[in-house]
Amino acid sequence: MTDEWIMEAVKRGELQQASLLFERYNKRIFNFLARMTMDRELAEDLTQNVFLRIIKYRSSYKEGARFQSWIYQVARNVFSDHYQANKNRFSDFVDVEKVSDYMEDIRESETLDEREKLLHRSLARLGDEQRELLILTRFQQMKYEEVAQIMNTTVANIKVKVHRAIAKLREHYFELEKI
Amino acid sequence: MEKEKLETLLIDYIDGKLNDAERYDVEQLLVANQDAFKTYEQLKEVIQAMQASAKMEPTPRLKRGFEQMLREEEIGLKKGRVVFFQPSLFRVAAAVAFVVLGGAIAFIIARQNQQSRELKQTLMAMLENQQSASQRVLGATVAYNDIVKADDEIVNALVNAMNEDPNTNVRMAALEALGKFHNQPHVRKALVAALNTQKDPMVQIALIRLMVEMKEKDITKELERISTDEETLQAVKDEAQAGILRLS
Repeated sequence: MTDEWIMEAVKRGELQQASLLFERYNKRIFNFLARMTMDRELAEDLTQNVFLRIIKYRSSYKEGARFQSWIYQVARNVFSDHYQANKNRFSDFVDVEKVSDYMEDIRESETLDEREKLLHRSLARLGDEQRELLILTRFQQMKYEEVAQIMNTTVANIKVKVHRAIAKLREHYFELEKI
Repeated sequence: MEKEKLETLLIDYIDGKLNDAERYDVEQLLVANQDAFKTYEQLKEVIQAMQASAKMEPTPRLKRGFEQMLREEEIGLKKGRVVFFQPSLFRVAAAVAFVVLGGAIAFIIARQNQQSRELKQTLMAMLENQQSASQRVLGATVAYNDIVKADDEIVNALVNAMNEDPNTNVRMAALEALGKFHNQPHVRKALVAALNTQKDPMVQIALIRLMVEMKEKDITKELERISTDEETLQAVKDEAQAGILRLS
């Protein structure tokens, strides 16, 4: 069963089918939001909010639309709405240098190695758009075509922006490494 | 080479998106240019770090929360359906509809009764207006045009006007109005009785014609009496004779 077929069923009122979509997507959406917010608990709340919107606004799902693109669009909106409502983007109040310690909780009892801590701290220094592009294309290995669809832009535009984001990440990463 | 152009080339090289010729050029550059090689090494490290970054696992709280939310939504959906299909709601809706409909019908009937009462009062006042023959004619005309079914009071007023009114036009108008209600039994009786008492030749002739059209055979004996009555005008006698022939 394709995601689209299942979503059509949900749209018709077979809400229980949404469980299948949850099983397929909850970790990916959670990872996306956890890296965007740098806050695991908040990411869980927002992930649930994404699925709530999928169910509540099921009638707005357009027949034939790619489900993956749709759910990521919903996730981006949930993220954006949350910070607009609270006016407290993490970069405004979270000490960027402590982000990796905060994210360490994500690995339960495991300890992040220094390399990954450095990565998270570098990532936290990027703007939302660049961070989002790297999360989608590099952490979640999404193709440029899929990201272009989610962000409603061209593949060429995505490629240019991703390359700039990687270059910027490299700068932060090796600057922080010196500290 | 421009910095951004070099970075793009190196990223494509790391991603394995270059063709053989492009890859060869990049490798030649990396051998010859130390800065380019350093940039390459650093880009490769961050790209590999991102690819190797561990996936995060949500806590069971997320799934529990989702399942609870789904249950609530399903209940909400069912409640939504119940609102429309619950029998008790139908009953309430039907009751409201009946009350509204009943009220509307009662209102229409009351209004019609009110209108009917007002019309009757008007035409009775006209028929009983002793000062004006034209008003009495108008009363009879109103009865003819606007009354669907005449009650005893109206019939009696019209019969009285037909038999007793001093004005021929009023008597004729009253007869014409009565003719409209000739299917009502008491009107029929009143018309038959009037044939015996009516002395106005014009009304007599109109009455005979009406009764013949009504195929009222009970008037045959009365027509025979009229046709032989010496005091009756010849024109009336002739009409009575013609009526007998048509009814026979």
